[in-house]
Amino acid sequence: MEGCNLFAVTTPMQTLGLMHKDLFPQAQELGIKTASYMNIVFNHSRISDADKTFLKNGVKWLNEEAVKMYKKEYVKLSALQRQKVLASVTQTEWGNSFVYDVMNYMFEAMLGDSVYGGNNHEAGWKWLQFEGGKPRPKQAYM
Amino acid sequence: MVDICIIGSGAGGSPIAYELANAGFSVVVLEKGEDYTESDFTKDEIGVTRRDMFTPPLSEQKHIINEYKADGTFTRYDGEKSGWNFWNGSMVGGSSNLMSGYFHRLKPNDFKLKSVYGKIKDANVVDWPISYEDLEPYYDKVEKVVGVSGKIVKHKHLEPRSSTDLPYPELQTNGVTQWFDAACKVLGYESIPTPRAILSQNALGRNACYYSNFCGSYGCASGAKGSGRAALLQKCSAKIITDAFVYKLESTDKKVTRAYYYTKRGIRHSIQAKIFVVAAQAIETSRLLLNSKNKYFPQGLANSSTEVGKNLIFSAGGSGSGRFVFEKLTPQQQKELMEVGVFFNRSLQDWYAYEKNDKEYKGGTIDFLFEHQNIISRVMREVYDENGNLMWGDALAKKIKKRLTTSRVLTFEVFNDWLPTDKCFVGVDAKAKDKYGVPVGVINLYGHPHDLEVGEYLAKKSVEVLQKLGCEEIDYSISSAPPPNLVAGGCRFGNDAKISVLDKNCKAHDLENLYVSDASFMPTGGSVPYTWTIYANAFRIADVIKAQLA
Repeated sequence: MEGCNLFAVTTPMQTLGLMHKDLFPQAQELGIKTASYMNIVFNHSRISDADKTFLKNGVKWLNEEAVKMYKKEYVKLSALQRQKVLASVTQTEWGNSFVYDVMNYMFEAMLGDSVYGGNNHEAGWKWLQFEGGKPRPKQAYM
Repeated sequence: MVDICIIGSGAGGSPIAYELANAGFSVVVLEKGEDYTESDFTKDEIGVTRRDMFTPPLSEQKHIINEYKADGTFTRYDGEKSGWNFWNGSMVGGSSNLMSGYFHRLKPNDFKLKSVYGKIKDANVVDWPISYEDLEPYYDKVEKVVGVSGKIVKHKHLEPRSSTDLPYPELQTNGVTQWFDAACKVLGYESIPTPRAILSQNALGRNACYYSNFCGSYGCASGAKGSGRAALLQKCSAKIITDAFVYKLESTDKKVTRAYYYTKRGIRHSIQAKIFVVAAQAIETSRLLLNSKNKYFPQGLANSSTEVGKNLIFSAGGSGSGRFVFEKLTPQQQKELMEVGVFFNRSLQDWYAYEKNDKEYKGGTIDFLFEHQNIISRVMREVYDENGNLMWGDALAKKIKKRLTTSRVLTFEVFNDWLPTDKCFVGVDAKAKDKYGVPVGVINLYGHPHDLEVGEYLAKKSVEVLQKLGCEEIDYSISSAPPPNLVAGGCRFGNDAKISVLDKNCKAHDLENLYVSDASFMPTGGSVPYTWTIYANAFRIADVIKAQLA
């Protein structure tokens, strides 16, 4: 899966933020903001460049699939069309890995300590009747 | 010049520091990682378990891994590219800070595996040069000095003990342990309270366990866990130099004279000592000796036998699980099941030795515990449906909610001998170097088929218990995948200098003042986690060094 003709039409953050909503709207319903956590991911010293590049490439490939299916990039599609794009890409090996990775980071934001900016008011923990361990971190590990 | 220089501050190094410093000797401990206090040990799932904050980045320090097949061919993995991580805890106290503290002693037959069970084809099994009786006083000492809690119950494989019971009472347990005990009784199995290196009450100048619910993989914020840091290094005056990566030992033909180390900024330092003790954890200890070759020891320091790095072992076995579901339980049972924080703490050693098809087998230990509470990991285990398709949206939300709030997973871990073989050993790479410019370790891996056979036997016994408990989704995996935190061997001890690196006191045969006090000395590993034995043996070595310096 090489090559991409969709540079600069959408930013990774726009696409990833919308993917979070599409993949797990319950987080938003609980008042949890997960999108900005992706900034931490892309700047984290302990996430490899290869993993970051895979995420960015995944965004490009997802948009390529969106254009192929509906002639528009992902963020401009209807909710139903976006679901169909997600269903389509997860039939491929790269797409499955990419969506899994996106969900992985989304759940980190939703269920990690709120010091990382997500899990607002511990709403993710409360949803699952979970009590975080103590002591809590005073700052995010970057 | 100091009396003793110790390289590595974990379970192998810390008892030496504690004993020698408290006996009035000058002790310096060189530790690659940082120092932490209890207040640093937060329960940050992302930082601790998903970003590996206590181990070096693989982009800076890695291993090369060669995975062998029975026919001698192997697949080479670059640790950085594959993400295969063999680091366990670069910090003062080493990985003992992050252990679960499941403490079992070896048993007398573990010291004479070859004599008792005979030779096994393609395995380098040998008897130890010491007996259980030699180590028993030191196991006892660890119970009292490091602190082991629990309750000794008589069972057919209970090892001889000089103290009747453990010095600290059992930690609090979940009510489900009573279901477990009852199920074992019906099956005719002997359920054992698992001894833990965790204080159940304030003692030894440390606070009791506060049942944080996040024990294994995390540092302990109360000091209850018997890490080398909390139990020993904080109780002695040994000087600890952090950010000190020892890359070479210099020697004459008889003695080690100097240890060279780098700081993370690449500044080079060195230190002289009368006695050097290497305890960098098995793989790194062999790597350091191999990287320290000189004109007297052209094949690596202390390596006239060419045995350094050989017979690397791990803990064989695997793990399995079953799920308790609310639908099968009364409201009271549901409440008991979901009580978190308290421990499960149950083990089975009924098959530490067993007979099958008229043949005697050395078996092992099974520890039972609830699935780790890490919530991100638990949720991520739910994202596939039964057909292996990725789920999302409402269907996933419903599944997660139901699974995490109305069921709970009981897991088991099987520990049996990882037989030493010619295909499992440590080397150093000819090309790959770490950020310090030092050749990285090569980990050659091979699991003997016998290990899998024994592991399967034990796993099937564990499954019987889960079935009797009414668990659903019972499953297990026995494999030759090495657990990186359960590693030993590489500098086996023995009486014959031609086929062993260390003498029975863990002093190098080749040198007058070099000891190895981590798990490298073990020719066979027993069928329990290693930490208690590492501690006990290091206390034994400390007595030898004290006598040498006196």
